[in-house]
Amino acid sequence: MNDAPLSKLTGETAALQASILHHFRYSLGHEWQSQNPGDIALAVSLAVRDRLVDGLLETEKRYRETDAKRLYYLSMEFLIGRSLGNNLYNLGLFRSCGDALQELGFDLEELREHEWDAALGNGGLGRLAACFLDSLASLDMPGFGYGINYEFGLFKQEIDNGYQREKPDSWLAELMPWEIGRADEACIIPVYGRIEHDRDRLGNYNPMWLDWKVIVGVPVDMPIVGYGGRTVNYLRLYSARSSTEFDIHIFNEGDYFRALDQKIESEKISKILYPSDTLEMGRELRLVQEYFLVACALRDIVRRYEENHRGMEAFPEKVAIQLNDTHPALTVSELMRILVDEQALSWEQAWSITTRTLSYTNHTLLPEALEKWPVNLLEVVLPRHLQIIYEINRRFLQQVVEVWPDDPDRLRRMSLIEECDNKQVRMAHLAVVGSHSTNGVAALHTELLKKNIIPDFYELWPERFNNKTNGITPRRWLLKCNPMLAGLISDTIGESWITDLGKLRLLEPYAADAGFQDAFMRIKQVNKERMAAIINEKVRVKVDPHSMFDIQAKRIHEYKRQLLNVLHIIHEYFCLVEDQIEPEAPKTYLFAGKAAPGYWAAKQIIKLVNNVGAVINHDSRVRDLIKVVFIPDYRVSLAEKIIPAADLSEQISTAGKEASGTGNMKFALNGALTIGTLDGANIEILEEVGEQNIFIFGLRAEEIQTMQMENSCHPREHYLHSPAIQRVMDALRNDRFSENEPGLFKWLFDKLVEQEDEYFHLADFHSYVHAQEKASREYRKPGNWAEKAVLNVARIGKFSSDRTIMQYAGEIWDLKSIR
Amino acid sequence: MRLAYEKRGRVLIVKPLEKRMDLSITDDFKKQMEAFIKEGQALFVLDLSEVDFVDSSGVGAIIACLRMLGGNGDLVIAGVCEKVMNLFKLTRMDRVFQIFSSSDEALTGFHS
Repeated sequence: MNDAPLSKLTGETAALQASILHHFRYSLGHEWQSQNPGDIALAVSLAVRDRLVDGLLETEKRYRETDAKRLYYLSMEFLIGRSLGNNLYNLGLFRSCGDALQELGFDLEELREHEWDAALGNGGLGRLAACFLDSLASLDMPGFGYGINYEFGLFKQEIDNGYQREKPDSWLAELMPWEIGRADEACIIPVYGRIEHDRDRLGNYNPMWLDWKVIVGVPVDMPIVGYGGRTVNYLRLYSARSSTEFDIHIFNEGDYFRALDQKIESEKISKILYPSDTLEMGRELRLVQEYFLVACALRDIVRRYEENHRGMEAFPEKVAIQLNDTHPALTVSELMRILVDEQALSWEQAWSITTRTLSYTNHTLLPEALEKWPVNLLEVVLPRHLQIIYEINRRFLQQVVEVWPDDPDRLRRMSLIEECDNKQVRMAHLAVVGSHSTNGVAALHTELLKKNIIPDFYELWPERFNNKTNGITPRRWLLKCNPMLAGLISDTIGESWITDLGKLRLLEPYAADAGFQDAFMRIKQVNKERMAAIINEKVRVKVDPHSMFDIQAKRIHEYKRQLLNVLHIIHEYFCLVEDQIEPEAPKTYLFAGKAAPGYWAAKQIIKLVNNVGAVINHDSRVRDLIKVVFIPDYRVSLAEKIIPAADLSEQISTAGKEASGTGNMKFALNGALTIGTLDGANIEILEEVGEQNIFIFGLRAEEIQTMQMENSCHPREHYLHSPAIQRVMDALRNDRFSENEPGLFKWLFDKLVEQEDEYFHLADFHSYVHAQEKASREYRKPGNWAEKAVLNVARIGKFSSDRTIMQYAGEIWDLKSIR
Repeated sequence: MRLAYEKRGRVLIVKPLEKRMDLSITDDFKKQMEAFIKEGQALFVLDLSEVDFVDSSGVGAIIACLRMLGGNGDLVIAGVCEKVMNLFKLTRMDRVFQIFSSSDEALTGFHS
């Protein structure tokens, strides 16, 4: 019995309200008078969750009855963000919920701010996985995620004296309404141990895996509802627990704390997400994490398959497994181990099943980011898997010899084992060899993968290689985060774009329409005003919402070249204060993103942005024509506010480095124009939006490759021949932006001028400045700018993750919609 | 450790009464089995129907018992639950030991 005011609502809205009140009292144990907004938000989430559970059960029934083939997406990262708004939109309950809460005196938008981001990922790779789950459900496809339920997700970023400081993200300290416990489906995972070489009853060689340690994987499910609410799949996340609460033997000796060591040791496995988004090799715990994910997932997948099927022969017809980068590449050896050791299949049968089931997505072109694990580490952690990998390699190299008999160099290049003092297992090679499909994530990336990164494999198996250009879900990245723009579009061309983003093309005739442009730009202005208020609140800088919002929001990395952006800002500042040349348009430069805690250079770049901002923002000569802001703690929920406010989207990586990018697509979808290099998906965005509607600059990937091979890039030459570059670089060397910390940025001068400028900042500097000036000139013609912005929205439809998933489903997984 | 045993002809059925065969009991188990073997017992059915978890020390103990027989006898396993069977398959123990669904079936296996 609750004592909230009597309702005048009916139907679904009334039911939702009743459910909220019920949960507030009975799930959370509060009287209505207490009305803590955080608790109200939780009650709302629990009420919505009830509606998801019905869908989850009905969807599973549908899949079981049709014995549908299922896709399992294995990823160490899922960057979900907040779920309440997303679930409300997808269930079609957003308005009802708003009405239900309004009657109770609450605002849904305010309550949503109380929800914690689920940050089980670092950046693009994790967010891609989340977008894919949304698309799979929205397309009514049986697609499920498998991941780790990290107790601590990606760290919270604070800025202290301009420096990044990391704080733990204890998201599980908050009650998580979206998790459905599945303790009854826990699985037992052995790890470590040794191999004993023995004989079986028939006298055949029988390698026995003994003396392992047991970890228990305990799953929870996060429902993933598709747009329209017809299909609810789930993301299954595993926590690691010890197999014994404590070692009673030790406890009986009186040492309680040592008895708990085992428990604590095991639970470390799912404790923390490794916060580097390029590489985390050589860390034993990370290897154990990767195996833990793979072993739990496969145990669960095989168990579910065996509930309805006898024998493993049909496994590839009923199961598709996608490896998101090489992090789950141990799936190859684990599936082989299950089929050979546990299911007693012959090697050949097992190999056929494994390769037909698995497919692999490569996400990087950086050679240092290709995962390798030391053989001696695998020997200790996964001895049976190492044996299996050796056998895979032996048979694979036999194949290679048959094709190229007198080519020992090729054998060495292609081997799964890198022969050196500290032998390594090349996980990318394992993934390619053990699967039937390898894809890149943008057209250029896939070509470079085939030509430069693993060309031998492409030569051997050209049919296995294909491209699947990344995409983003239009539900979160337009409908939810930019409801005013979404509303304008729907009012103009109907709502079909929400599930068929290509329909945005219908906006093209309106691009030149003054009335539409006006409405479009007013929405942009409102978004910018909201962002300006956030900037003021978070970093105490007042920015002009009428200035051009020039935004670079992504992980901080040298190849993404936040540094190039800063060099241009410094140049523009000097033009103003020393040459009295005003920028073409007032600009607010907004930076956001996290640096991996161990990545010194990235953290110094954050410090540089803040120091440059401190100087420029307080220089009265600038007269608010330039503002520089670093917004801390970039995460999905902040991206949903930043992206709709952008006028210019910075996608300026060194050409040939960014596999795809997905931030580029999000900004364009929300009406920002791109300034970027011909890298990753920028190239395809150019093809779609037209060269008049994007600002491209810089060296091409082939040019950079040629210069690297010929060693013909001489950054010192750029410095010597350009007074503009000299002025900027000298300012860094001479502490113009580090008065209180002399010598702080000298390393940048050394790196870019004296050493090799690995990412071609100076080589691209003038081209970038020129493109920036062009963008600013365009911005001063509001009609032109608006038309280009509308055309970006109208022509971005290719980059829906629905399209990407349909391609994966049709060309790799053989997966169907089940309606 | 609590252990039940029953002689049926030349076969000794040994049944651990603990839920878990782990480090806390495997020493005892091995000592008891060693004693049986020293007394001349050569054929064993290890009935695991009460056991729902075996850790690596438990697996090691069972293998050690087979080795103690030194080829002059046999040890078969019966009554294994699904969870334990998964562990046996994982270690490839199921290729070393004959595994039956019950002690009676195991006895029939011996006699035949």
